[in-house]
Amino acid sequence: MRKTPGRKLSLAMVLCLSFTMMLSGCGGNNSNNAAPTKSPAATEAPAADNNKDTTNSADSAVPGSPLELAMKGEYKGTKVTMFGPFVDADQVKFESSIKEFEEKTGIDIQYEGSKEFEATINIRVDGGNAPDIADFPQPGLLASIAKTGKVVDLTGVLDQEKLKGNYNQSWLDMSTMDGKDGKIMAGIWNRSNVKSLVWYPKKQFDEAGYTVPQTWDELMALTEQIAKDGDPAWAIGIESGAATGWPATDWVENIMLRTTSPENYDKWVSGELPFTSPEVKNAIEVMSKIWLNEDYVYGGTKSIVTTAFGDAPKPMFDNPPKAWFNLIGNFITSFFPETAKVDVDYDWFYLPPIDEQYGKPVLVAGDIYAMFNDRPEVRAVMEFFTTGESIKSWVQSGGVVAPMNDASLDWYQSESDRRMAQLVQEASTLRFDGSDLMPGKVGAGTFWKGMTDYVSGTATLDQALEQIQSGWNN
Amino acid sequence: MVGKKKRKGGKTLVNITLGVICFLWLLPTLGLFISSFRPAADILQTGWWKVFPHQEWTAGETLQLSKDSDLRAPIEINGKTYSDDELKAGVKADDSRLIWENRRARTVNVQEQGWKTTPELTLDNYNNVLSGKEYKLKEADGSETTQKGTGLSQAFWNTLTIAVPATVIPVLIASFAAYAFAWLRFPGRKTLFVIIIAMLVIPIQVALIPVLKDYTALGLNGSYLGIWLAHTAFGLPLVTYFMYNFISQLPKDLFESAFIDGASHFTIFSRLILPLSVPALASIGIFQFLWVWNDYLVSLIFIGNQPSVQVMSMKIADLVGSRGNDWHLLTSAAFISMLMPLAIFFLLQKYFVRGLMGGSVKG
Repeated sequence: MRKTPGRKLSLAMVLCLSFTMMLSGCGGNNSNNAAPTKSPAATEAPAADNNKDTTNSADSAVPGSPLELAMKGEYKGTKVTMFGPFVDADQVKFESSIKEFEEKTGIDIQYEGSKEFEATINIRVDGGNAPDIADFPQPGLLASIAKTGKVVDLTGVLDQEKLKGNYNQSWLDMSTMDGKDGKIMAGIWNRSNVKSLVWYPKKQFDEAGYTVPQTWDELMALTEQIAKDGDPAWAIGIESGAATGWPATDWVENIMLRTTSPENYDKWVSGELPFTSPEVKNAIEVMSKIWLNEDYVYGGTKSIVTTAFGDAPKPMFDNPPKAWFNLIGNFITSFFPETAKVDVDYDWFYLPPIDEQYGKPVLVAGDIYAMFNDRPEVRAVMEFFTTGESIKSWVQSGGVVAPMNDASLDWYQSESDRRMAQLVQEASTLRFDGSDLMPGKVGAGTFWKGMTDYVSGTATLDQALEQIQSGWNN
Repeated sequence: MVGKKKRKGGKTLVNITLGVICFLWLLPTLGLFISSFRPAADILQTGWWKVFPHQEWTAGETLQLSKDSDLRAPIEINGKTYSDDELKAGVKADDSRLIWENRRARTVNVQEQGWKTTPELTLDNYNNVLSGKEYKLKEADGSETTQKGTGLSQAFWNTLTIAVPATVIPVLIASFAAYAFAWLRFPGRKTLFVIIIAMLVIPIQVALIPVLKDYTALGLNGSYLGIWLAHTAFGLPLVTYFMYNFISQLPKDLFESAFIDGASHFTIFSRLILPLSVPALASIGIFQFLWVWNDYLVSLIFIGNQPSVQVMSMKIADLVGSRGNDWHLLTSAAFISMLMPLAIFFLLQKYFVRGLMGGSVKG
């Protein structure tokens, strides 16, 4: 008798409580929404002061840019926090490339690398804990943050004339994004890699008497020749954990650039040209001629989705090679066996043009550095990052290409890297990896998944394309 | 008699079930353990079970086919014809197996069954994880310098610095709270308790950004104090609930006699409750410690990746490299990070089995 009302009471209490908790949860959010307006204001106030200082001094005495001031030791003892995705070997290389700058200026760049950068940066920015500088490997992600107005517009921060002199216009165009009110310059490009490269085992390739194909037809003829000789020509793997499918997007982008105009490519990236359009379909059909041919792919088509992209090139280093070509960005060299020597054991050739009227387009990817807190020493560091000097020692270690024009070709230690830099500097069309520019739902979602489904055979091409396109609608 | 037999049969069943579960749990662990001693190239190529002696086709004599034989047509070897696909996968012919040795040079290998082991074991993985990887950097003149990365030791101490207070603080607070909820009469007791239980269902993810904002305002980001508080707060509901369950079950007579003897609440708590709840404290302590030790998310948000404060789980995640090229190091790293929780478990496990309650009332 006594138990029942007690139970009812506690049940009612639980319900009441969960309801109040929901309310208080919402309430908490509201008060928290109020907080950020406060905290940016707090950070903005000194920033604005600094702004005045620098502009004033720049106007009156012209003592030099922030970088020059920093070199004079003006900002000695200050700290600049930086957050990005470099960890492990990349972090060591990055830190060694900024060491000299730190020693000369006395500015301490505290770099924090995280494997979870993409997931964490939003939380940090929303939580008011944004780093001074963040390094985005995916400009699409920066674009979404830039829209909230939390990224400092670099138009007034960096000398635009200098930038124009030091970067290919394509790079500068790619750093202009939608801000809270109108276009802003959201970041500057520092590290880039090239994605139009076909890697091959040079030594055995030469021994077998093959020659590097200059046109798409030659490439297909050579593929057929290699198949006749007894090997599948292509090593392809698109497995990459939760990101499975991304190497396939690089193929599609490369072929898109070669079969249609750059304008169409831009439209495609911005969502105006749907995936279901004939241009995109055609590109994937061109790709399928290699991918879906059992004689052309190492392990057959079905192994493509189960082979990790990093493991894919390994058969090229067997003796004799079991596969010959691997189309992927230059970062792949870190997956090559340590014993393999660049220029001797392996090399790359440019993925040949398909339709001559579109010239020699080059697909690139890279890291864009954005600034979240405007302080003079941060400005100095940002300016430093627009110079080739900031990446010199990394360039020497190999694996990256400097997008700046003042990065000398002599810095590259291997012929392979040097040719790569040349390829970028001389490209008739330079386009950024489309899937990194598309909104995450498409570029890092349905595009990956749709391509994986298509290759694994669970979807027809039309179904896959519709599935990818549906990412734009949600 | 019958009952006994039945119980015996039941026991065997339980033992078999437990054995199967143990086996299923231990097998991947064993595989991981063996893999952690294998060279990276081997891990990529063959499974860990190949370390043990096993029957395998081993290379025998080589047959040379004519250089211009067409691979897309049936291929004739020793009077029989095979297709290219068969030769790729290996095809049985009598006691041996035919497989391409070098398809390009048109050589076929006649393999024989034989015993084989791949006993190559190395400590490289452990070396790389414990003392840090070596990175090669090229200088302007083309010479190479090697730079040694940091090992796990710093991250180990960081994790310990976080895990010990983040276990002790919530367990201590929760025991006080549990005692109060169980044995003190104060207004709103039930309401408060239900609120705490209700907290159990809130996923910590919803609290991340609001707490981070407060931490930014208070300057607690990236500090040990901040993460202790975060772990304490996230852990408290469960620990309180657990301790309440235990403490409320203690015999009432104990406290009554203590009260009559004039003991205060604090005396009762420290002299009676704490010693009696050692098994519960130990088990919830282990749970909380394991949770904090293995935590990635809370550390990722509140303490970050600066080497001076970085925890083991994050350091290990970074070991694989920006693009996951060194994932084989995870094998040994997993075992190293397991050592501490194992040690804690074996240290405290005797408290699990010690039946403290028996005889406590008789005093």
